[in-house]
Amino acid sequence: MTARERRTRILQLLQLIPILSVLVILFGGALVMALLQSLGFAPWFGINTFPDFSYFGSLWGSQTFWVSLWLTLYYATVSTLLALVFGTMLALALIKAFPGKWLYKYLYKLPLMIPYTVGIALAVIMLSSGGVLSRIVAFAGLIDDPGQFPQILKTHYGWGIIAVYVWKQTPFITLAVYAVLLGIGRETEEAAAILGARRGAIFFRVTLPQILPGIVSSTLICFAFNVGAFEAPFILGGGFPDTLPVVAWRYFNDADYTLQLQGMATVVSIGIVAGVILFAYLWVYRRYERRMGRH
Amino acid sequence: MTQVRLDSVRKQFGNFVAIENLDLDISSGELVALLGPSGCGKTTTLRMISGLERPSNGAIFFDGKDVSEQAVQDRNVGMVFQRYALFPHMTVEKNVAFGPSVRGESKAEIARRIDEILEVVQLTPFRTRFPAQLSGGQMQRVAVARTLITKPSILMMDEPLANLDTKLRVEMRRFIRDLQQQFGITTIFVTHDQIEAMELADRVAVIFDGQLAQYDTPERIYRYPRSLDVADFMGATNIFPGKLLSRKRVSTALGELDCPHQNDRSVGDPVHVLLRAEALDINTGPFTSEGSGLRGRIRARDFFGASVTYRVTCNDQEIDVTENARRMLDVGDDVQLEIAPEQVWLLSA
Ligand SMILES: Nc1ncnc2c1ncn2[C@@H]1O[C@H](COP(=O)(O)OP(=O)(O)OP(=O)(O)O)[C@@H](O)[C@H]1O
Ligand SMILES: [Mg+2]
Repeated sequence: MTARERRTRILQLLQLIPILSVLVILFGGALVMALLQSLGFAPWFGINTFPDFSYFGSLWGSQTFWVSLWLTLYYATVSTLLALVFGTMLALALIKAFPGKWLYKYLYKLPLMIPYTVGIALAVIMLSSGGVLSRIVAFAGLIDDPGQFPQILKTHYGWGIIAVYVWKQTPFITLAVYAVLLGIGRETEEAAAILGARRGAIFFRVTLPQILPGIVSSTLICFAFNVGAFEAPFILGGGFPDTLPVVAWRYFNDADYTLQLQGMATVVSIGIVAGVILFAYLWVYRRYERRMGRH
Repeated sequence: MTQVRLDSVRKQFGNFVAIENLDLDISSGELVALLGPSGCGKTTTLRMISGLERPSNGAIFFDGKDVSEQAVQDRNVGMVFQRYALFPHMTVEKNVAFGPSVRGESKAEIARRIDEILEVVQLTPFRTRFPAQLSGGQMQRVAVARTLITKPSILMMDEPLANLDTKLRVEMRRFIRDLQQQFGITTIFVTHDQIEAMELADRVAVIFDGQLAQYDTPERIYRYPRSLDVADFMGATNIFPGKLLSRKRVSTALGELDCPHQNDRSVGDPVHVLLRAEALDINTGPFTSEGSGLRGRIRARDFFGASVTYRVTCNDQEIDVTENARRMLDVGDDVQLEIAPEQVWLLSA
């Protein structure tokens, strides 16, 4: 390494210091603290049995934990997939010219600016039994009484939760995919059409591989959020057994503050599960990218 | 081998008319250039022929059959895009295989044809590379191969040589010409370079502002442009306003000149006189007073290696004269310019 290269390298490191310190101290520190607590280190509560795996043991040993985990992943996956399908379709539609496009381009972003809690409130107003939708259906004569409207919220199918996530995240994915689509342009699709490809082949063989980076990064963000989010399953979920973030929240809020450690074990479990899934996802994607010749 | 006809085709984008009543007849196996300045509608014309764009009015015929309503996929045309539009996530091989593969041909047949076509475009050593790992000329050849493998009945190329350096351009020009002769495909290519159009094409369609200005052989377009605009676009510099003195003689600010017999003009008509720079001869003396001799003085000299262009002042008018660089005249030399009457071309004023 020449002196000049060394200087550049040092300069690069200096530039990274602010962001690195925030990451290491705030994020890394919190992570370490969470891990320590979940392993029984909390002297400020008068507890210090470190290293103590009993919190994880009792958590993972109970059957409800696995049901909670299943529910958490189920809501997160289904909403991410639905948002992906809708978002991609919307982005593909937005690329084309159609009358009133400017209005549409403005409208679809609206959910992005509305907070989750407002979205949840909207879901309660619209979808609950006795809500607007049930009244409309009853008014239309499809059911005799709003009370007969099928239960959408507060079931373990989680349609309410999924609806809120999809409503909020579809525009996010649209935005990401739309930007990528604008970048790749229409020419490769047109070339494919001239070469004889029909719509399906054009999408799956030409468009999709090119927008995959946008899809992967945006679904990664949505999925990670959905696994960790708490308000929607708390308000719209089916109650016990809850999703893992709600379980953790209940532990933290318990009058018995020693349960905080159990809560930390829950949080760390969420982190591990989400981390493993996201890394696996990225690994598969990287392998695909390499096969496509990208580095 | 398909004959193409555009019948008063018009294309409008919103209120903007991109193509106005375009009639174009392209014979089977012909190589036609669409030539015109940027924004005149060349790409739009290609896109309408390929089916990517629908004409607002008029019809397009392939071998006499109206294809205006036919989908892109069913027209069996080939198009090489200006920026190639290769699939960045596929290797050269996969790019080339795309067409036959979506048309449902067998793997063995595709493999055989790929080998064959990669040999034609000399890309066999690059078959497993990705487009990002190729040079401009190689990418272009992939684009050509990808199109040719589908055996299109019409081959279209949008500025095929625009992105290449001079040497590659010459190479690709020869390549396209050979290919076209070898396969005999009706070929339409777009260019805004008149030299390229003249060198490659059987016929050139000059388009200005969405209108066909002239459609003719390169030689005729160059020698006998039908309008001032065409003459100007073909690089003519010596154009002077004049007036017919008789059916065979014209007066200009340069002096009087003999011209070919004008059948459909009357004496006294205002005209523009086009004198091509290489059609003029320079006489360094002794000067004669008969014929079309124009006396002048060399004011500037541009040396191009094989040729040299002099700027000569005649009667306060400037005129360019190009000749072989076998001799060199000097700035300030007195000269007399001669031109054969049949080399003089008159344009309507
Ligand atoms: N989709 C479109 N919407 C609106 N106007 C368009 C569209 N496509 C082309 N035009 C307009 O039509 C005219 C002709 O465009 P075209 O692309 O055919 O030009 P061109 O002759 O290929 O020019 P260049 O040599 O710069 O490629 C241009 O003025 C352009 O702005
Ligand atoms: Mg163009």
